[in-house]
Amino acid sequence: MNTDLETFKYDNRIVRAFAIATVIWGLVGFSAGLLIACQLFWPELNLNLQFTTFGRLRPLHTNAVIFAFVGNGMFMGIIVSAAVTLPLGLTTSKEYAELEWPIDIAIALVWVVFAVNLFGTILKRREKHLYVAIWFYIATAITVAMLHIVNSLEIPATAFKSYSVYAGVQDALVQWWYAHNAVAFFLTTSYLGLMYYFLPKAAERPVFSYRLSIIHFWALIFIYIWAGPHHLLYTALPDWAQSLGMAFSIMLIAPSWGGMLNGLLTLRGAWNKVREEPMLKFMVVAITAYGMATLEGPMLSIKSVNALSHYTDWTIAHVHTAALGWNGFLTFSVLYWLFPRLYNTKLYSMRLANWHFWLGLLGMMFYVIPMYWSGITQGLMWKQFTNEGFMQYPNFLETVLQLIPMYKLRAIGGTFYLLGACLMTYNLYRTAKAGVFVPEVEVQAPALKSQPEHPEEKHPWGHRWIESKPMVLTGFALVAVAIGGLVEFIPMWIIKENVPTIAAVKPYTPLEVLGRDIYIREGCVGCHSQMIRPFRSETERYGEYSKAGEFVYDHPFLWGSKRTGPDLHRIGGKYPDAWHFNHMDDPRLVSPGSIMPRYPWLLSQKLETNSLPARIGTLRKVGVPYPDGFEATAQLNLEAQQKRIVDNLKQGAITNAPADREIIALVAYLQRLGTDIKVKPAAPAAPGAPATPSPSPAVPIAPKTAQLDASNQTRN
Amino acid sequence: MNNNPQEPKLLEHDADGIRELDNLLPRWWVWLFYGCIAFAAAYLVYYHILKAGPLQAAEYDSEWKTGEALKSAALAKFEATIGTLTPSQDKAVLAQGQQVFLTYCAPCHRPDGGGLVGPNLCDDYWIHGSNFVDNIKIIINGVPDKGMLTWRGILKPSEVHAVASHIYTLRGTKPPNPKPREDQAPKPTGPSPFE
Repeated sequence: MNTDLETFKYDNRIVRAFAIATVIWGLVGFSAGLLIACQLFWPELNLNLQFTTFGRLRPLHTNAVIFAFVGNGMFMGIIVSAAVTLPLGLTTSKEYAELEWPIDIAIALVWVVFAVNLFGTILKRREKHLYVAIWFYIATAITVAMLHIVNSLEIPATAFKSYSVYAGVQDALVQWWYAHNAVAFFLTTSYLGLMYYFLPKAAERPVFSYRLSIIHFWALIFIYIWAGPHHLLYTALPDWAQSLGMAFSIMLIAPSWGGMLNGLLTLRGAWNKVREEPMLKFMVVAITAYGMATLEGPMLSIKSVNALSHYTDWTIAHVHTAALGWNGFLTFSVLYWLFPRLYNTKLYSMRLANWHFWLGLLGMMFYVIPMYWSGITQGLMWKQFTNEGFMQYPNFLETVLQLIPMYKLRAIGGTFYLLGACLMTYNLYRTAKAGVFVPEVEVQAPALKSQPEHPEEKHPWGHRWIESKPMVLTGFALVAVAIGGLVEFIPMWIIKENVPTIAAVKPYTPLEVLGRDIYIREGCVGCHSQMIRPFRSETERYGEYSKAGEFVYDHPFLWGSKRTGPDLHRIGGKYPDAWHFNHMDDPRLVSPGSIMPRYPWLLSQKLETNSLPARIGTLRKVGVPYPDGFEATAQLNLEAQQKRIVDNLKQGAITNAPADREIIALVAYLQRLGTDIKVKPAAPAAPGAPATPSPSPAVPIAPKTAQLDASNQTRN
Repeated sequence: MNNNPQEPKLLEHDADGIRELDNLLPRWWVWLFYGCIAFAAAYLVYYHILKAGPLQAAEYDSEWKTGEALKSAALAKFEATIGTLTPSQDKAVLAQGQQVFLTYCAPCHRPDGGGLVGPNLCDDYWIHGSNFVDNIKIIINGVPDKGMLTWRGILKPSEVHAVASHIYTLRGTKPPNPKPREDQAPKPTGPSPFE
């Protein structure tokens, strides 16, 4: 065995760089989360700056936590555990508040570098058989690349604005296939890889079951990819796709629990260590949180549960069980394990690490329990009817005001969690100070080719064969993760019946296009859905339920996933223009108690129209049927609509509104929403029957601003 | 290798010092997996192959019918009594009416009733008839041509009565910058009882 020994070095500098990046991005991500959590009961906390509203910071929080904190954690762990011997300059500047197209390309490049590094390492490895952790990294690498590229297909209109090639229902399906599997392959498989390396290392116990590793790995990656449509239950997505999403989510329980079992059962005989070693405590909570979240996820995918939970804080509680528990605690665990080894010393303070553990755990409790309470409360209030068949709480705001105490408790939980992370940062800093950094570790191992075949390596399941052929394993994994997406996408693209067209639905006018882009820029979709589900509790509140054909010109779709504010799909024509004008200036002026931030800058900032022709042209390229040469008249069309809105505002006692401000475009867009199909006023259209289309106007549609829509049953 | 027969086989493979046991899959876990697969298959077959259960549009249909029947009955009962209704002077009813007004009416009529897009409710020049019962009918049926929504089926009967009672108290008040009178044929209505 000791013949032909090779000497090589592990480069700790890269590991340290990623570890530090992980800590810093963790603090940034947690702080951003705490800030926006506080804004939900203290809306002025954005300090009236447009850069700090909930809508804009929420993506920063999620991106910082998912891609920067977990991403660096993953790289850090992968580099340690896959033992990188080809140091490349893996620098990731992860400042994407908006993941626009130049950044999308950058991400793809970074990922390619990562993949080259990973596969290069694997090919030059000195281990004959790939260990289970590596299988998970391979699945992560190829699947994330596939997800990112397919979902980011977009055509640039300007240097920082592009339109998705997909529209409406198809965009929704692709986006949730991406988002769901980002959870699966960025937050789950990569971290299972970390667990499979660091847990047996720290516990000094063999992994519980090799067989379980095999089964749960292949089942997990194959089944996960199908489950995306469970984010779109009871929407305009065709029933068959919804059912697939639900069925595969249920089947996912056992494969997910396979990972949890293999983790927890590995600790058999080592539980005494868990008592003493903070690193293992974090690990145990992380694995337990993983088990809870992966049972809850399938439960939330059951349509009748989802009918209540969707759009509420229940989802927020669910993702934070996973994010704070599984990803957060596992990362903390790895950091506590790593730092003393990088600096060849002992952890500065066990006591502080224990404090961090309990603060973090308490923080999680204060976070998730109020969010469950809040989600179920609001879900039930939305659905409550009186004995006479009227909505019990028709005013949306009333249901929000119920939740304010929960939002405050949640912020306390977040504070605890952040404090814990600060303690850890200090602890790790002192650890580093006390030790001496070990830039390289010299190790020896036999060269791959000289390793003899062990008779014991034969295993009845024959899986050893593929473990020694990384490219074959990669190919099989790619097939496993590609099938689900293909089965769901291809029918959606080629069978027209999946998105029945509605003749009355027309493209947006130029002013509405720009208004929509402001809606996107401000992150309105973070709090407002545009998808009325087929429940009486929703059609009574918002109007006729949303149809697939209404979204064919929506590049990208804006269905949303959370209703911190009410659904806006049929907001068009519900209020006069002046109401929207005043409401955007200060929501509390017209809705006392509202928790929406003020948007005064929309009233003062000039609308940028130079890029209008480019935007129209790009939208045509992705399939919106603007007539040829429409770019030339777009500006005139836009100005005419601006003038009509300014006139409407005068009716509402707003006499000084300049036509060229952003607010005018936003009002135009909001007033257009959901108005293309009309429901008869007195008797709502027979449910299930196709909605009565309004007389179809020529492209582009004349705006119907300030004409109150009598059919609309919606309020607030 | 360990020699303890109680312990499962320890595999030879070693990854950076990590070893693996060759335990069998836990039986309950295997049955959980089979059970979930069976459920998923049965679900898909039931709804999409046998088409035995209602999909979401059909589900909505029946929910809508049940709810609508309840509501129509309640509304019919209320509408039969409209002609006999008088403004309430009960404090609790008026407070409820004010709340309803601020939530649903104020966007167009202003919180003080002085009129914005919708007409001034404080003067005596009402467009569609100014007695209490007329007002209730307008609230219920709306004036679609002029942009007044129908609140039939949205406001509960008790809320319609309450908000109409509140509006009745607004008449004769003098809010600043009221919307100018818009009626075609002014009909003096006499002073409000709250003046």
